[in-house]
Amino acid sequence: MAARQVVVVVAAIKRTGWARFLTVNKPKKPRIASNQSLQALTLAALALPGLMLNPACAEEDEVEFQYGHYQEGKRNLFTTINTKNPIEVDSLLGKAKFSLSDRVKFAFNYTQDTWSGATPISTAPRVANSNRPILADTPSGQTITVGASPYLNTQLLVNRNYIPLKQKPNGRIAGQDTQLVHILSMASPETRKQGDFNLAYEWDETALDLGGGISVENDYESRFGSLNGRWDFNQKLTRLNLGLSYTNSDTSAILDHDSSPYITKSEFLGQIEQSGAMKIMHGNRQDWSSSLGLTQILNKEALFSANIGYTRSTGYLENPYKAMSILFVDSEQGGNRLNGELKAFLEQRPNERNQLNLGGRFIQHIGLTNAALHVDYRFFHDDWGINAHTFEADWVQPIGRTWTITPRIRYYSQDAADFYQPYLLSKQAFAKTVYNEASGTFSSIPFDARLLPQNFSSDQRLSAYGALSGGVTVNKQFSKAIGLEAGFEYYSHAGALKMGGGGEGSYSDFDYFMANASLKVNLAAMASPAFAEQGHHAHHAEAHHHGNPAPAGVMFGHLLNQAHAFMVGYRFMYGRQSGDMLHGSQLATDRQIVNGGCGSGVQACRLTPTYMDMSMHMLDIMYAPTDWLNVMVMPQFMDMAMNLRQLAGAPPVQPGEHVHTGTGHATGGVGDTGLYALIKLLDQPVHHVHLGLGLSAPTGDVDIPLRRNHQQDEGFIHYGMQLGSGTWDFKPSLTYIGQSEAWSWGAQLSGTHRMEDKNQSGFTFGDIFQSTAWGGYGLTPWLSTTVRGVYTDQAAVSGRFNATSGVVNGVLLANVNPKAGPMDFPSSYGGRYWDVGFGLNARVPSGDLAGNSFGVEWLQPVSTDVNGYQLDREGALSATWQLMF
Amino acid sequence: MLKNALNTLLVIALTLVLSACASVAPWQRGVLAQPSMALALHPAQAIFKEHIYISREAASGGGAASGGGCGCY
Amino acid sequence: MKQHIFFSLCAVWVLGFVGLIQAAEIGDASPDCQIAPHEHQASYALKHLQGKVVYVDFWASWCGPCAKSFPFLNALDQEFNTKGLQIIGINLDEQPTEAADFLAKYPAQFTIASGDNQQCAENFAVKAMPSSYLIDRKGHIRHIHLGFKPDEADQLKTLVNQLLAE
Repeated sequence: MAARQVVVVVAAIKRTGWARFLTVNKPKKPRIASNQSLQALTLAALALPGLMLNPACAEEDEVEFQYGHYQEGKRNLFTTINTKNPIEVDSLLGKAKFSLSDRVKFAFNYTQDTWSGATPISTAPRVANSNRPILADTPSGQTITVGASPYLNTQLLVNRNYIPLKQKPNGRIAGQDTQLVHILSMASPETRKQGDFNLAYEWDETALDLGGGISVENDYESRFGSLNGRWDFNQKLTRLNLGLSYTNSDTSAILDHDSSPYITKSEFLGQIEQSGAMKIMHGNRQDWSSSLGLTQILNKEALFSANIGYTRSTGYLENPYKAMSILFVDSEQGGNRLNGELKAFLEQRPNERNQLNLGGRFIQHIGLTNAALHVDYRFFHDDWGINAHTFEADWVQPIGRTWTITPRIRYYSQDAADFYQPYLLSKQAFAKTVYNEASGTFSSIPFDARLLPQNFSSDQRLSAYGALSGGVTVNKQFSKAIGLEAGFEYYSHAGALKMGGGGEGSYSDFDYFMANASLKVNLAAMASPAFAEQGHHAHHAEAHHHGNPAPAGVMFGHLLNQAHAFMVGYRFMYGRQSGDMLHGSQLATDRQIVNGGCGSGVQACRLTPTYMDMSMHMLDIMYAPTDWLNVMVMPQFMDMAMNLRQLAGAPPVQPGEHVHTGTGHATGGVGDTGLYALIKLLDQPVHHVHLGLGLSAPTGDVDIPLRRNHQQDEGFIHYGMQLGSGTWDFKPSLTYIGQSEAWSWGAQLSGTHRMEDKNQSGFTFGDIFQSTAWGGYGLTPWLSTTVRGVYTDQAAVSGRFNATSGVVNGVLLANVNPKAGPMDFPSSYGGRYWDVGFGLNARVPSGDLAGNSFGVEWLQPVSTDVNGYQLDREGALSATWQLMF
Repeated sequence: MLKNALNTLLVIALTLVLSACASVAPWQRGVLAQPSMALALHPAQAIFKEHIYISREAASGGGAASGGGCGCY
Repeated sequence: MKQHIFFSLCAVWVLGFVGLIQAAEIGDASPDCQIAPHEHQASYALKHLQGKVVYVDFWASWCGPCAKSFPFLNALDQEFNTKGLQIIGINLDEQPTEAADFLAKYPAQFTIASGDNQQCAENFAVKAMPSSYLIDRKGHIRHIHLGFKPDEADQLKTLVNQLLAE
C-alpha cells in the first residue's frame, strides 16, 4: 500500500514539475550582467512576503480598552427564599499591540476582574434542608425569615432503598422526595489581575512568537508561557500553526471560616496550613498544552481551519471551595426508616487529566449581502469521562461602510465526569458508638474511608448538561482610527439541554448574561497619508509639541488647540497607605486608637487597617468642537484592597461575638464617570491659561456590603472602600502653563464640590481643594522631566451610612453597620497633605507610533495631617498614555 | 465515541478540501481580506467570553494557554 | 486507507497548482499587456514605454502593505520622474469603486492603471500583493520585489538609481 502511494506522488511530481518547484526560488542566471546587490535582494524578495494568509488581521498597531460585565440569575432554593445576590463579574481589559520593527511585533494585555456573589458549594437532597432560613426575632416578638444560610451537616430519614423521605412538621412521613438542591454560599468581592505579553518575529513565510504572563488573585496565582510557530506555504493559501504552552498555578485558599468546621478534610491534611484562626489549603498544578492547526483558503470566498490540541494537567486539580455531601446510612439499622447523616467532604479529583480538543471552523462569504458566515465545531474528550461538543455560528453583516452587526448562536453539551455525583450514599455510619465489654467503656468508631470512592465531586461543571446561548455584537467605525464595539450574550444552562438527554435535574439550571463595550484605537491610522493630507493632524501635533507635557499626575493639563481634533488617553493611578497609624500628624498608638478612634466602652475600636491599596484605571476621551473648547468623557474603573489587624488593648470580645481579622477585604468595579469642558482663556506663545468645568456622575457603587460572616450580618463595607462618591460632584479647575525653549512651568487650582447633601447610602465625602505648581525641562526633544509640589485639603465624610438591619446570632438588629475601627467612622476621613512629585514624559517622535506620548510620575508624601485616625501614606504613582488625531 | 468523532471530522475535512480545491491567485483575495472573514472576529470580546466559558464549562479552550486564573466561582 | 487517498490527492493538488505558474523572472524580457491609465482615455501597451526605466507595481485597495507603499512611490516619482523613471500602479481590485475610494484616501502622484488588469497580472504571474517589477530601459525585468515593508524603501531606491544610470 505504501509503495503504491509513493508511486502516485511521484507521478504527480513528474506531471507538475517538482524540480521546477524546488528551483523556483533560485533566480535564473541573468542574461544581462547584474550586480551583486540586485541579486542579493532578489533572493530575499522571492520569498513571498507581504500577503498574509488573512490580510484582514494585517497586524496594524492598535490599542483597545474593554469593559465586560457578567451577571448570573438567581438559583432556585426550593425550601427557602434566595436573598443572596448571584455571581457578578466586572472585567476590564487593556490591549496594546505595536511593531517594534518591520518584523518584530509586541503585544501586551492587562486584564482585571472583580467578582462576588453566591455560588453553589455543594448539593444535597432537598429534605436535608441545607439552605436554612435565617430566622430573626423582631422587637415585636415575631419571627421572620430574612435570608438563607448554608448547613452542610444535617440529619434526614431514608427508606430501605435509601431514598430520602419527606417529613411533615409534626414528624410524619409525607412520602419520598428525590429533589436535589444546591447549597449556596456567599463570596465577598475578589479581584484577579493578569498581565501577559507576546513577542513575535516574522520572516517572510514563517513566524515565531513567544508569550508569557502572570495572573494573580488572593487565593490563586498562575504563571504561563507559550511558544508558537507559523508557516505559510502553497502561495500563502495554506498555513500551519504549532503551539506549545505551559502553566504553573499555585492555590493558597483560605477555607471559609463559616463552613470549614463542618467539612471533613481528612484527605488533605498534608496540604492544609493552620495560620492563626485560618485554614489555608495549598496546592500546585501544572498544565502542558500543545496544538497543531491548519488553515486553508478554499476559494475566493471561503476558508477553513482545523486544529487539534492536547492538554495534560497534573497536581491539585480540585476546587478548594467545593464540598461533596455524603449521606451516611448505617445499613444495620432495623425498621423501614433509616436515619441518615449528611456530612460534607472536600471534593477529591484525580491528580491527572488528559484532554483532547478537535476543532474545525469554516468561513464563507455571502455575496448577496456582503456578509460572512462563520461556523465552528469543537469536540472535547478527557480521561475523566467527559465528552463535550461546542457548535457556534456567527453571521457578520456589514451595514453601510461603518457598521457591522454580528448575531451569534452557540450550543454546548457535555457528559458528566465519571466521578461526578450530586451527593454520595455510603452505607455505613459516619461514627458508630460501640460498647467494649472487656473494658466496660464506650468508644466511637469512625467511618471506613476505604468504602468511599477514590474520587468524587458535585461540582456542577462536571455534571451532564447542555447550554444554549445567543447574542449580538455591534461594531461602529468612526474614522479609520477609532472604532467602538458593544456585545451582549444570553446563556442558559440546563440539564435538559444535554445532547441525547440524561442531563442533570432542573435544580441545577441557571442562566446568565455577558455584556461588553470596547474602544479600539488604530495607531497606524495616524501615520497614514490620509491624515497628513487633511493637514490638521501634522499641524496640531506640532501645536501640542511646542510645550513639554504637564506631569502625569496633573489632570486637564493640556488643551487641544485645533477644531475637530480628537484625543484618546489612558490614565492609571495607584496609591498606597500603610505603616503607622496617624492622629493628626502624630503617630497614634494602639491604645490611643482603642480609646479615641471609635466609641467608648464596649464600642471602642477593636481593629485597625494595616494597609490599603487603591488602583484606578481611567479612559480619557477628548474632542475639540472648536479651537477654544474641549469636551471630555472619563469613565473609571477602580479596585481596592484593605487588610485589618486586631488592636492591642482592644476590649474583650463579648460572649457569642466573633471578631475576625487578617483576611482583609477587596472591592472593585466601575467608578464614577467624569464629564468635563475645558475653555481656553489665554493663548500666547509663552503663556496659556484654561478653565475646566466638570461634573462627576455617580456611576460607582456606594452600597457594597460586607459578607455575612460568623453567623452575623455586617452591613456596609468601609466608606473608603466604596467605588464612587454616590453624589453628583462639581469639579472646576484653572490651569496655567508656560513654556520657553526647553523649560516649561505651570500651576493649577482644582476642586471637588459635592452637590448633594447625602448619597443613596446616607453620606457624602468631603469637598476637596488642591493646588499644585511644577517646573519641567526637556532633556531631548522627546524626553522631559518634571518636579512639582502639591497641596491637598479634603474635608471629613459627613453624614453616615443608613442603618442596615441584619441578623446577628439569631437576633434581628436595626443597624449592623460595622463600627470595629476608625475606617468605619466618618470623622476619620480627609486631611491636609503635602506631596512632591517627580515625573518623566516621553513622546514618540517618528515612525508608525509617532504622536504617542507617555508619562509617569511618583508622588512622594512630605507632610500628612489626617482627620481622626488614619493610615500613613506611602505614595502614589500616575502613568498616562495619550494619542491625538 | 472518540474514534467516531475523529472519523466524522476527517470525512468532513476531506469533503470540504477536495470539493473546493480551487486555486486563488494572490490578486483575487480581496474578499478574503475583509475584516468579516478574519479567523478571530472580536479578539478582546473573545478573551472576556472565553474566561467565562472556561469557568462555567468542563471543556477548556483550544489548548494554547492564553490566560490563567482559577475561575473558581 | 482514507488518509492515504486524502494525502495523495492533496499532494497532486498542491503540486499541480505550483506547476501551472509560468512566472516572469529576472532577466526575462518583460511580459506585455494593455494598460489604461487612470487619467487618459486611450489604453496602450506596456512595451511602448521601452527606453524608460519602468516600475510596475501591482496593488489593490484591500492590501495593507500597498497603502504603506504609496507614500514611497509618490516620493520616488517626484525624485526620478524627470530622469526617466515611469511608475505604473496597476490596480487589481474587482470593484472599481473600491479602488477609487482608496485613491481618495491615499492619493497617487504616479500613473495608475485602472480597469480590468487581470490579464496583466496573469502575464506577470503575480505572486503576492503588492508585487513590483523593475524593468530596465531595454525592457528586461531586473528586479522583482514582493510585498512592501518601509525598511526596504532605501534598497529599492538604490536599485532604481542604478538602472537609471545604465
